Amino acid sequence: MMYPITTSKRKQYQAQSQTGEGAMKVSQHSIFKFMAVAFTALLVACGSGQENLDNPNTGSGGTSENYSGPAPISADVQNFKLNFWDNLVSDQRCGTCHNTGGQSPTFVREDDINLAYTAANTIVDLDDPANSAIVSKVGGGHNCWLGSDSACADTITSYIERWAGGAGGAQKEVVLRAPEIKDPGATKAFPESSAEFASTIYPLLSNYCSDCHVEGQQTPYLGSEDIDVSYAAAQSRIDLEVASSSRLVQRLRTEFHNCWYNGDCTTSSAEMQTAIENFSSTISVEELDPELVTSKALSLIDDGIAANTGGRFEDNVIALYEFKTGEGNVAYDTSGIEPALNLTLNGNVDWVGGWGIRVGSAYTDEDTMLNIANGKAQGSTSASRKLYDQLTATGEYTIEAWVVPNNVTQEDARIVSYSGSATSRNFALSQTLYNYQILHRSSTSDQNEPFSTADADERLQATLQHVVVTYTPADGRRIYVNGEFTEDADPDEGGLLNDWDNSFAFVLGNETDSNSLWQGTLRMVAIHSRALNEEQIEQNYSVGVGEKFFLLFSVSHLIDVEDAFVVFEVSQFDSYSYLFTTPFFTSLSEDITLDNIPVEGIKIGINGKEATVGQAYKNLSTTLNDTDYVDGRQTLADIGTIILLELGPDDDEFFLSFERIGNYENVVVEAAPPAPVSPVDDTPVADIGLKTFDEINITMSALTGIDKTETAIDNTYRTIRQQLPSVETIDGFLSAHQMAVTQLAIQYCNALVEDSSLRATYFPGFNFGASAETAFDTPAERDLVINPLLSNMVGSNLDSQPEDTAIESELNDLMDILTSCSGACDADRTETVVKATCAAVLGSAATLVQ
Amino acid sequence: MKIKAGIFSNTTGKLRQSVILALGIIVASQSVAGPREQAKRIHDRIAGVPPSAAVLDQMEAEIQAGNPENAAAIAMDNDGFYDVTLKNLAAPWTNEAMSSFVALNDYSATVIGLVRDDRDFRELLYDDVVYIGNASLGLTPYSNSDNDHYEELEGIGVSLQDNLVRQAQSSVNGLPSDATAGIMTSRAAAQAFFSAGTNRAMFRFTLLNHLCNDLEQVNDTSRAPDRIRQDVSRSPGGDSRTFLNSCVGCHAGMDPLAQAFAYYDYEYDADADPEGLFGQMVYNTIGTADPETGTRVQGKYHINATTFEHGFVTPNDEWENYWRAGQNAVLGWDEGLPGSGEGAKSMGMELAHSEAFAQCQVKKVFKNVCLREPMSSADQSEFASMVANFKGANYNLKQVFSDSAVYCKGP
Repeated sequence: MMYPITTSKRKQYQAQSQTGEGAMKVSQHSIFKFMAVAFTALLVACGSGQENLDNPNTGSGGTSENYSGPAPISADVQNFKLNFWDNLVSDQRCGTCHNTGGQSPTFVREDDINLAYTAANTIVDLDDPANSAIVSKVGGGHNCWLGSDSACADTITSYIERWAGGAGGAQKEVVLRAPEIKDPGATKAFPESSAEFASTIYPLLSNYCSDCHVEGQQTPYLGSEDIDVSYAAAQSRIDLEVASSSRLVQRLRTEFHNCWYNGDCTTSSAEMQTAIENFSSTISVEELDPELVTSKALSLIDDGIAANTGGRFEDNVIALYEFKTGEGNVAYDTSGIEPALNLTLNGNVDWVGGWGIRVGSAYTDEDTMLNIANGKAQGSTSASRKLYDQLTATGEYTIEAWVVPNNVTQEDARIVSYSGSATSRNFALSQTLYNYQILHRSSTSDQNEPFSTADADERLQATLQHVVVTYTPADGRRIYVNGEFTEDADPDEGGLLNDWDNSFAFVLGNETDSNSLWQGTLRMVAIHSRALNEEQIEQNYSVGVGEKFFLLFSVSHLIDVEDAFVVFEVSQFDSYSYLFTTPFFTSLSEDITLDNIPVEGIKIGINGKEATVGQAYKNLSTTLNDTDYVDGRQTLADIGTIILLELGPDDDEFFLSFERIGNYENVVVEAAPPAPVSPVDDTPVADIGLKTFDEINITMSALTGIDKTETAIDNTYRTIRQQLPSVETIDGFLSAHQMAVTQLAIQYCNALVEDSSLRATYFPGFNFGASAETAFDTPAERDLVINPLLSNMVGSNLDSQPEDTAIESELNDLMDILTSCSGACDADRTETVVKATCAAVLGSAATLVQ
Repeated sequence: MKIKAGIFSNTTGKLRQSVILALGIIVASQSVAGPREQAKRIHDRIAGVPPSAAVLDQMEAEIQAGNPENAAAIAMDNDGFYDVTLKNLAAPWTNEAMSSFVALNDYSATVIGLVRDDRDFRELLYDDVVYIGNASLGLTPYSNSDNDHYEELEGIGVSLQDNLVRQAQSSVNGLPSDATAGIMTSRAAAQAFFSAGTNRAMFRFTLLNHLCNDLEQVNDTSRAPDRIRQDVSRSPGGDSRTFLNSCVGCHAGMDPLAQAFAYYDYEYDADADPEGLFGQMVYNTIGTADPETGTRVQGKYHINATTFEHGFVTPNDEWENYWRAGQNAVLGWDEGLPGSGEGAKSMGMELAHSEAFAQCQVKKVFKNVCLREPMSSADQSEFASMVANFKGANYNLKQVFSDSAVYCKGP
């Protein structure tokens, strides 16, 4: 999305880019800032000697009952009192120091609410609550009453937002400032020669990976006999800085991929890590490749400019979890609505980089041998009663969450639940396969009867999604995914929430009994006491989730433009990568001229080298020009990409490299890949094979002279076709194949013998009119049947075919058996014997093998 | 037919014995094979049926005269070569399950026709061509919405060698000529690979069937991911390493190539006809605006756009081959081609003119005739010669059958 960066606002800064000092801004914002500095000094004085102790969570802010001073002189003072003063006046929060006669500013003084209002105005920014001095101060560790400074900061931000007139979605401006200028750091680079690789890592790859990862089988060819091929394949899977982060290690350690030592992945991965460390230790740290044309360098946390513009609609939010804490076992409710419904993390729950928690299944810790239960984040029943109180009062609600389901195979898995047991609840948002489901108790809905998105729509995907469920008596339940109404209609009419139970607990990622685990990541959860409308849902979706920054990569040293930057919006995408999006060019100077400056092939660098994967801008080719430079920016691309996280947002250092920018050029010509080596000789296989289904059919047709389209033949063939051999492999011949072959052979031979004209031609001289006892009682008579079969079906003078005598012997045995009727053969036995004899040859290896 | 069950039981038992016995005898007989046995094997392998006595004699004579390729040519005159060998070679290419048990269709018929007519087999992926049954047979005419024509043609059992007729595909299915791309725009391929989904299947299966590489083999994570569409999650299950280590390797190259199919779709009634037996291919011609995209691009190219909203939004059918550089350069792309273009036809040529395409055809035929893949150094050497011969014969697939049959004719 585009954020408002107005030229006028931006121009209020005078960048001092080369010195790295941020510029100052005048106007109202500066006044706030000046006052904030003064306030900060005072707070420091107040806090002198005080430790940042975790005060007890009082569960509630102050109350208005103890105020007996003058009445608020304006509606704004009244708003201040209700939303800010009441929440902070208690001794457990700010009242001890900043009360009447206390340390300045006395923004929670109890003698005169109007004077408290005046004092508070010096430490808040009503246009940008998150940027208020008091938020920075408390967020920085000053007497936070919660276990998390950021949770206190967010809570106070919520108070200020409500005072300012609600969190109704106003977007703030983002002001770009020049970062400190620094050059990209040194790093290790892969040597051209594979010699050290050959003596460190390659032995492992050759030993343990060469069964599969070799030419002709499976990429990457890590186990190739050619060390250079293996080296080329391995480079993108080796982290020279942090060996344990190497793909070669992680694949063994965390994904348990074909570990050796009888599947001992701990030892296998440790051995691989040691090998990589040994390899890395042979490589000296080198300065950045001098051929690269690079921007200046930046780190995300130190140099990034917060890009979150707010804009979420949260007027009626009563519980909010943004999971910013990143540590500990409490997920704080930062809605600012007391009492805070904080959640305790139990079992397998981890914090996720870029804000979030991941809920996983029970496991046994291999180091401690402790059994870790299914994860969940649950609030106390007393704190959860806030939901009951607020939602039954309005009779409607909204559940809003940013989620990343681990998979699309889990069923009846609770994402967000307000419940008492597996079968009793007030509401629950669940996942079942590709569907979101909502269970809900009301006067018209069965609490155990799920309302689901349609199966065919497959709304739920195992990726980051914004899901919202609203409930109103008028419309019932409505589900929105990624800002869009799913069009699924609640089968129940809207009802009342009178039957809700106030003794239930609010829980994320599971049911209260821990038996309905949902595996996935929660990036944000909010409960609203009103149903958000479609516009508000779309608005909240478009704002997104997580902490975002602008990174301004300085390129003034590359082009003749003052204070020139290529800017990316960057955020931590998940625990393993960064998201870079929507790059644009800007200058912090007002009067610039862009004279068609070429920019080509931008690559993102991290920790002194270009990232190996994710270079989505390396095909970019454009020019910086006055026409496209509108409102102080020229968009360079409208796509985003993710780059692998290495050391974390505190330590990773980024830069950009260019194939061409201005007069600088570093055109990279990729080397031709090494030619694949010829595969080694494989185990010899049989030189002969089976005929397959259609071949058998036309072979039988050709050998009998019967048209394969004859009805009886065709019907039989269609029936048994898929039972015939479908591949030529001779050792894949099964008894089932034989049965099908037999059926088809008999059908062909039946057609041949039943046709008096054809049989007379095929078996000249044989007397089909004779009884079975006499028709086969001499060798000559039998030869009249056997010889045509041999000549037509087996062929003549073919040493690759069975010997005639062997076949004749088998067929004579068969005739002996079939003609032994003790004088009571059926009248058609003669024909039957010929058919059987025919089928015995036709369905034999003499015709089946090729 | 009525034969007593008891007799059948005995007969079956004897049959099994006979087969087992004969197998043993045949294996034992291999060491004494000569030109006559070689002739029979060539015929068996090429045509799928044993030769008549006369043909066997004729082929034996050719081999004895030092012209085994002439013997192979005789075998290729047999209808079985077209009706069975080629049809079943092509059948698995025409469906996602890669089953051989599918009816003749316009895809497999076109394969047969191109071989019969000694055409440059590369045309398979880009020419304006389709083969249909001869009008004199009185078959139900070719239809864009069913396969009756080919099922009837196969059902009556006539020789495909004699009854397939070459047609301009555009004149049969109504596509603009420049939108035809050989079998990739056949009805059978569209039913299999354009139905539902995202059209990536058409690319994947063409790669698999005609370049003998599945995506796993061409996975290259170092390519620019700028053309990967929005529907591909960058963090499957919340773990972006999966994307960076695996997904990107295929999608980075595949998505910009599969963009060539952006104007194609296969429409069918998913409820009444879930397999799409009566659906038909659709193509957004110039001036058409898809209701979902507002451009000629089919709506399926923009589905699940919120999965990764910063992904690529397909604006047209301009494709580009990122695999010309990097490890997949070893597929041997034609340097005479630009490596980019518009639409399926030029992309089909990009694939068909690769070294991998030629090698793949030889590999498939070698396996079909020799009943194994090249597995020894001698096989590899011969394989390389066959590829060279294939190219030298203007990509006539009969040359490969001939070379394979001669090489594997036995001792």
